[in-house]
Amino acid sequence: MDRWADNRAFALLLPALLVLAVVGGLPLLAVLNYALHDIFTLSEVYWVGLQWFEDILGSERFWASLGRSLLFSALALMVQVPLGIAVAKLLLPLGRHAVWGLVLCALPLVVPWNMIGIFWLGMIQPQSGIFGGLLEAAGFDYKFNPLHTWALILLVDTWHWLGLVVILAYAGLASVPQAFRQAAAIDGASRWAVFRHVELPRITHALAIVLLLRCVDSLMIYTEAFSINAGGPRDATRFLSLDLGEEIRGFSYGQAAARATIYFLIVLSIVWAFVAATRSRGSQP
Amino acid sequence: MMRGLALAALAGFILLPMAQALILSFTATLPDGPHVQGSIGLMNYAAVLMSPESQSAMLNSLAYVSVNVALCLICGLPAAYALARFTFVGDRHFLLLILVFRVTPPVVLSLPIFLVFARLGLVNSPVGIGLVHCLFNLPVTIWILESFIRSVPREFDETAFLDGHSGPGFFFRHLIPMITPGIGVAAFFCFVFSWIEVVFARILTVTAGKPITVAISAMFGFQTDIGAVMAMTCLSLVPAVILLFLLRNHLAKGFVLRG
Repeated sequence: MDRWADNRAFALLLPALLVLAVVGGLPLLAVLNYALHDIFTLSEVYWVGLQWFEDILGSERFWASLGRSLLFSALALMVQVPLGIAVAKLLLPLGRHAVWGLVLCALPLVVPWNMIGIFWLGMIQPQSGIFGGLLEAAGFDYKFNPLHTWALILLVDTWHWLGLVVILAYAGLASVPQAFRQAAAIDGASRWAVFRHVELPRITHALAIVLLLRCVDSLMIYTEAFSINAGGPRDATRFLSLDLGEEIRGFSYGQAAARATIYFLIVLSIVWAFVAATRSRGSQP
Repeated sequence: MMRGLALAALAGFILLPMAQALILSFTATLPDGPHVQGSIGLMNYAAVLMSPESQSAMLNSLAYVSVNVALCLICGLPAAYALARFTFVGDRHFLLLILVFRVTPPVVLSLPIFLVFARLGLVNSPVGIGLVHCLFNLPVTIWILESFIRSVPREFDETAFLDGHSGPGFFFRHLIPMITPGIGVAAFFCFVFSWIEVVFARILTVTAGKPITVAISAMFGFQTDIGAVMAMTCLSLVPAVILLFLLRNHLAKGFVLRG
């Protein structure tokens, strides 16, 4: 290790820990507390123990939403990660000009989340949208055809987050010395072989972060999915977080808190699995 | 040739929805408004810029984003320095903790944050939103700054200490000028993620202090003037696009992460 061992350095973390305790620790404790109570008004609160958890985990609705969210997350990862790496590979030989590609890919990241769905809906609007007439003629109907709604949300999510995958993959690929690629090419390695055996091992860490961020964010997709079809048609795109949003708006705070706790535990177990996987890989030679 | 086609396809995919928004923002879209429906001009921008609600929404957004960027840098710099230069008891646990907070979905914490902040008197105030956004921005700040500080060789610190500079003096006069691009990139990501966030911003502004994202949502109604909505959205993109342009050469450098 090229770092000094000094336990006093922990003091430098204190400001950050204090802020995180207020905005993260305290609310988490509150969520756990509410989850065990039935809250009619904030002055009429009854202890219900694990009743909410039994209700939620015993309901078919929860498992259906979980299944949909897992499927969406898997699809998002399968599309966005390879596509992001491909775009990064495309930009890499551009050298100095590659930054313009990165800026281009980063543009959707700065759009307000509640407008991302609206942008796309505007584009496919039958009267005024650029693709409106074309898609209407092709029979595209995101409002009533579940398959089309899924495709649209997946496309919108890809548009929104591709930039993050590209930036991280590019950062990883740019750190691979050019000489390594040339040496492999001289040895007659195909482009796929160069990627698989020279580049991929060196960008696994950047990729692991991308996988984790995209996995959790797409599992808990809320704003985009809600603005496109609010969970429809007939609940076909009702993801985990849409259930939660519904309960909060319906003022069933106790049940919402229990649901939030369950979701937090899901996220926590994903992070734990991710850290365990990267550590065991790191310990190999 | 193939590369050019692929790049063109990428640019089309990313820019078309934005082009659509831009076109709508210059079009009169209300059937019985003061302008003929379908006519082209700056009327939506004029209407948005003149309305007191959008002016105050932009100021509100700027206020809490500044609070957030300042808080993230003040708390993130020492933490990033500690993680980049020292090993100590709990360093790995801290990294795990900020990872967990970064990925915790806002909607999970929105309800208790509202109740806790209502008790602290931080609802409807830019300080409240600026503070809450630290939940996901502080971890990102620490990651980015840590990788920039680590790229400065350790001998740099040692020489400065031998020359008699104390901790804080070294920090402000030597280290911070060395990592200005890193601070810029961290500030950019804090700015963007705070500027566009909706869930917390909505739940923490009940009666006043509405930020720009919530003001845009509030423009939807029985008869939505979609042209004005798009004009407001395009205006909201301006600061982030300027920052993106200024920081273009440093974008990818903040993410060379350590295990």
